[in-house]
Amino acid sequence: MDPLLQHLLNALILGGTYALLGIGLTLIFGIMRVVNFAHGELYAFGAYMMYLWVMVLGANFYLALPLAVAMGVALGALVELVLLRRLQGADIDTTMLVMIGAWIALQNMEQLVWSGVAKSINTPFPSAPLVLGAVSVSWNRLFVFVVALALIAATYALINRTKIGKAMRATFQDRETAALMGVEIGRIHTFTFALGSGLAAAAGALLGPVFVVYPTMGDLASLKAFAIVILGGLGSIPGATVGGFILAFMEELGAGYISSGYRDAMGFLLIIAILLLKPTGLFAQKERIG
Amino acid sequence: MKRAVTIAWLLFLVSVPVWLTNLYVLHVLVMTGIFIIAAMSLNLLLGYTGQLSLGHVAFFGIGAYTSSLVSLGFSVHLLPNWEVTLDPKPVWLAMPCGTVVAGLCGWVIGRISFKVRGAYFVIVTVSFAEVIRLVALNWVELTQGPMALNNIPYLRLGAPGLFEISFLRKPANYYLVLAVAVVSYILIRRLVTSRAGRAMIALRENEPLAVSIGVDVTRYLVLTTIVSAAIAGAAGTLYAHYVRIVDPDVFLFIYTVTMVIMVVTGGKGTLAGPVVGGCIFGLLPETLRSLEIGPEVQWVIYGVLMVLLLYFLPQGIVPALRGWWQARRGAPARAAPPQASVEAAQ
Amino acid sequence: MNLVWKTVAAAFAASLMAGTAGAQDTIKIGVTQPLTGAFAASGNYVAQGAKLAEEEINKQGGVLGKKIQLVIEDNKSNPTEAVATAEKLISKDKVPVLMGAWSSTLTLAVMPKLMEYQVPMLVETSSSGKITTSGNPYIFRISPTSEMEAKAFAPMVKKFNIKKADFLATNNDFGLGASQEFQKMLKEQGVQIGAAETMDPKATDFSAQLAKIKASGADTLFVTTAVEQATLILRQAKEQQVKARIITTGGSVSPDQLIAQAGAAADGSYHLVFFTPWFPEAVKNPDIAVKFVGLWNAKGHNVGGLTEGFRGWDGLHTIVAAIAAAGKAEPEAIRAAMWNVKVKGINGDIAFIKQGPAGRESAQNVPSVYLVKIDGGKVVRQ
Repeated sequence: MDPLLQHLLNALILGGTYALLGIGLTLIFGIMRVVNFAHGELYAFGAYMMYLWVMVLGANFYLALPLAVAMGVALGALVELVLLRRLQGADIDTTMLVMIGAWIALQNMEQLVWSGVAKSINTPFPSAPLVLGAVSVSWNRLFVFVVALALIAATYALINRTKIGKAMRATFQDRETAALMGVEIGRIHTFTFALGSGLAAAAGALLGPVFVVYPTMGDLASLKAFAIVILGGLGSIPGATVGGFILAFMEELGAGYISSGYRDAMGFLLIIAILLLKPTGLFAQKERIG
Repeated sequence: MKRAVTIAWLLFLVSVPVWLTNLYVLHVLVMTGIFIIAAMSLNLLLGYTGQLSLGHVAFFGIGAYTSSLVSLGFSVHLLPNWEVTLDPKPVWLAMPCGTVVAGLCGWVIGRISFKVRGAYFVIVTVSFAEVIRLVALNWVELTQGPMALNNIPYLRLGAPGLFEISFLRKPANYYLVLAVAVVSYILIRRLVTSRAGRAMIALRENEPLAVSIGVDVTRYLVLTTIVSAAIAGAAGTLYAHYVRIVDPDVFLFIYTVTMVIMVVTGGKGTLAGPVVGGCIFGLLPETLRSLEIGPEVQWVIYGVLMVLLLYFLPQGIVPALRGWWQARRGAPARAAPPQASVEAAQ
Repeated sequence: MNLVWKTVAAAFAASLMAGTAGAQDTIKIGVTQPLTGAFAASGNYVAQGAKLAEEEINKQGGVLGKKIQLVIEDNKSNPTEAVATAEKLISKDKVPVLMGAWSSTLTLAVMPKLMEYQVPMLVETSSSGKITTSGNPYIFRISPTSEMEAKAFAPMVKKFNIKKADFLATNNDFGLGASQEFQKMLKEQGVQIGAAETMDPKATDFSAQLAKIKASGADTLFVTTAVEQATLILRQAKEQQVKARIITTGGSVSPDQLIAQAGAAADGSYHLVFFTPWFPEAVKNPDIAVKFVGLWNAKGHNVGGLTEGFRGWDGLHTIVAAIAAAGKAEPEAIRAAMWNVKVKGINGDIAFIKQGPAGRESAQNVPSVYLVKIDGGKVVRQ
């Protein structure tokens, strides 16, 4: 029984960060209709910024975290303003390809600056785990879980309780009408992309110290984020949250009981299954637009 | 006029190994040729049906692995007591096997994926490629996983006692790749200009309208996917028996991206587009390498180049050139210098 | 306009000529290492060690009256890329000898090219037995095979009182080969084998494998992988409270790097290494070892890289000795001469014995193996 409990606990903690990734992308994908292949790069960027602040500049770990996230937000806003503004109204393929170009440029710049050698980030947490009866969890991962939940709750509140959140929801439901009602679509787009990117950077900044930081770490994150978005349904924050946890559980249990090698395949098999059986996802608020 | 140009081009290409003594450059040309074939196959799907498949490298890799496994022979346990063994078969048999298997996978993917469109289709194709990569990585008994399939035999053609050609050295491979490229080009061209091709273009331009006049959407999409996958698979088999080592990294997303860059910058939906794009992005790395520019900087340049081209020449280089050429010829009566006529035509 | 074009053309032509003229005065030596990817840390260290050797050799006048020039290519920890780098180094740069390719899988991938072009390669790190037993006469290996490592460790089995052992190895020729050899050695001593797990070289999460290892109840866990994964394994093993004694094999798991990056999780672990910079008096040629450490630190390289970087140094010195003995920088001459070189290296004295099928033997060195332990953040002799 022990391994099962341990797997469930691991999945719970991993799910939190997956949810962050998924929420960021579902907002961008849902509101802006952009297939953001550069999402994983913001994740990697967040991790590298953590490395920069903690290991290179010697800052306090707890201070470095919000700094790294803030830089992710800034980068997201920059990308939107420079690249995506001009493409308003362009077809979805063009924006997708532009995002691929951005992904390539960002990843290789990262490799240029930091080199391909994996980097480790020191944490203030003890390496001995917290033992809860039959299972143990590292303090680092517990911290990640708590922060992830807090960010998810904050984002939910932002979307549903604030004025700008209302504007975002309006843009998602019907862009033309929202524009007619006085919503500045451009500003909403920049805000959405920056927010989504910030969440991805947060996921990276949180997970970076748990594992290691290397230039291609964002690739798998991008693809998993898509799995979560499709699972949960476009534009749905609760959907992305639940989707994140479902993916984490499938991965952990699959790795534990079927085969650890196929761990990463779980997400992709999920995507294929969902898109063929229930294309709108589990919690879709809106019809899929092809 | 056009035919003469084409023939001149072909003659030039055929003559290359005769005067090009630098074997390394010849090697680069062979690899570029293989990628051009793959890019042409992607163009068929992307350019002519408008469906962006980002899992295309899966067909390339399936062709490569199938051909390698058939030529090396393998033995796997499909069930604990059921062992399936295949003795090594000659390469001239293995390569068509690889092509056919890739085409079959294209059929499966076509049937499944075309239930969804647009962004979702993209994601399904990417997921498919990733699953195949993970299978290649983990099914070590069959594919050797990260240890790679090594010592893949090269192609040997011959009639016993009459002649034998072995495709071990670079010049021989160059001709083989050139031949397959030309055949693929002709095949694609015939498909595109045929009735099926017109149906595909109708699909791309306006799907609901095409459906309303009775075009069987799924049938044509699936047909296109099969042909596209088979050609990509053929490119994969050429790769496998030239490089003679295949590992799961052949399925990496970055190779699909390379193909996409070639097609999009060259000009999707044009026959010459992938060729132009392939030449640029196949030869550019070597030029940049000799200028001592590191690989990371190279890729940053490609990314930026692609984005710029998407902004300013969204149709790609070939259509832009064509438009410019037509604009030049558009005002033949005037005696004004070329620049003026271009401006006037615009 | 015309004048501008003429100037440009002249400058271009001049640079081409200068390029080729310069090339005659150096002897190029090809190096293929993983500078990016899953094995990047070690590959970079080996390259750094080789560059130090290059500088030192050139300072003393080079070889055959010419300076040596390293042409270093990144094989990206990938076998197909390793083949591409070998192709480039041999066809384009025309190097008469190579060093590489670090991981056993990468080296095995390159071997057919060596046969095709008949160029010798010095293997500085790879440990798979297959490399020297496949009948490739162009292979000269100075690093130990996994079998040699296992034999060197054999006396410690009784000392540690090992009753049951688990294995966690990276899923490639290096990891699987080491796992096999050590299992063979242990079985000969009557030790029970528990779980033999593997992982992808690029994996970062080993919770599934470690859970099974924890459940097996073994007293010792042998880990064979690159240093990046070893760091994560130690951390996660501590998080999951794996009680077994951890021993890493292969010599590339730098204890200093583990201390720096895994911290307290590294305490109590043992490591098989092929160079002990913390106590140079233990090696056969302490003066060379001390000189190397001095040069390395003077460059400001990461001190954790010493246990790996020395391979590049020893490898390059062996190659240069062969070139000197051959009298000319040509592949066949270098290959013939390398059989008879005797070099004082950091690991010990380097000399080659024959291994593999008769008539097509490969060359193998018999190096020294050391066991160290990490105790309280420091490296201690065993």
